[in-house]
Amino acid sequence: MPRIFSNKRLIILLVGVIVLVALIAFSLRDRNHANVPEQKVKDVVGFGQSLFTKPAHFVTGVVENIDTMLNTYEENKRLKERLDTFASIQAELADVKADNVKLRGIIDKQDDLRAYEPIQSTVISRNPDQWEEKLIIDKGTTNGVGVNMAVMTAQGLIGKVILSTPSTSTIELISTENSNFRVAAMVVGEQEIFGLIEGFDQQSRQLIMKRIDSSFDVEKGMSVTSSGLGGIFPKGILIGEITEVSTDDYGLTKLAYIRPAANFSMLDHVMVAKRSAIVVDGTDGGNSVDAKGEDES
Amino acid sequence: MIRFVIPLIAIVLFFLEPIFSLFSPIELNNNLYILIPRFLIVFLIFIATYYGRKRAFFYALVFGILYDMYHIDIIGLYTFMYPLICFVSASVIRQIERRTSTVMVLSLVMIVMLELLSYLFASIIALTSIDFSEFLTRRLIPTVIANSLFIGMFGYMFKQVIVKRFSQKQAGF
Repeated sequence: MPRIFSNKRLIILLVGVIVLVALIAFSLRDRNHANVPEQKVKDVVGFGQSLFTKPAHFVTGVVENIDTMLNTYEENKRLKERLDTFASIQAELADVKADNVKLRGIIDKQDDLRAYEPIQSTVISRNPDQWEEKLIIDKGTTNGVGVNMAVMTAQGLIGKVILSTPSTSTIELISTENSNFRVAAMVVGEQEIFGLIEGFDQQSRQLIMKRIDSSFDVEKGMSVTSSGLGGIFPKGILIGEITEVSTDDYGLTKLAYIRPAANFSMLDHVMVAKRSAIVVDGTDGGNSVDAKGEDES
Repeated sequence: MIRFVIPLIAIVLFFLEPIFSLFSPIELNNNLYILIPRFLIVFLIFIATYYGRKRAFFYALVFGILYDMYHIDIIGLYTFMYPLICFVSASVIRQIERRTSTVMVLSLVMIVMLELLSYLFASIIALTSIDFSEFLTRRLIPTVIANSLFIGMFGYMFKQVIVKRFSQKQAGF
């Protein structure tokens, strides 16, 4: 039988494997902070990546434009029907907004959980081995993006920032299998019903909202937004619509399945929401802080 | 100019992979299929076959580290898997004839191996909870089909370029 490895090679191989296992263990321990060399690599590779991705986005944009142009007639007809109701709704909205400002002035309240500063950015890559749902965008800490900020498209919430370097940020999509990904959410209705978005059902492609107080009536078709009580996300970002309501494993609280409003594939332009109100590290922040909170209670 | 053509192709492929994965979860008949672009490893296998094992190792290590740092945030996964795949394919190719078609088939087999390895890693460190049959139908088979298209389109070109560069190097450039 021929010898595949000489002794020297075997030793090199073994040492290599040990070093790699140590590296894996080291980087698994603390994945949400990039050290300086990692940040540099991310910035440089991110710059190169954006040189390739931006032309690609341009091409897909042109194709999409042609595609929408072919549907223009149908769409125009549908939109005209909706336009009639739109004018009256807009007038009402303007009225309500003015009223809101006036009332705020009366009670002298400046802070608003809803207010946020949008940071527009372009998606430059998606994790190619798609075990995790991660995107990288071309804005980083120099543009004001910070860890745990909400990320959304025009349709609704898509995820949050989990890592940011000076010129790139990594986003974890809400459709992740990661059970530590929580969003403080509320059901919009006559009263605000609070709960937590925890987990994503891969089979039905729906979000799961847990810990809804069972005394409230939650119905199919109600829409769910972020509540702003998690500490980092602004209030009122649309998350989705309830499709099914049931009780949780212990029968104490309700559980709702939510069809996400945003589409998670073919993302190109996204918005990072930088909240104007004071930011605290709560439920939206991640497991460590949250786990501490649970211990205390 | 031809001096830089091999690293240049490798860099372009490295940057093309995440662009293709932007399109990736493809929905057909209400089923989601995940296509994973594995362009770079195909090129590395061609380098290992027609250029040299050491050179392929070097590229595998460098791009493995970049891949880990930029995309995965776990240093060591692809830094290990890319050179391993290059090593295995170089050992296999020494036993068989170096025809383009055999190298193409070998790269497909190696992509399957790479996917299995990454599935193993992902389930060990609990990144995923899907079972094997689901992995097979939703990830592995679509990935192999998509990458076989890529290999069919570019495999011959890779061989031409690498052989040309290799013969130039032999001549002393």
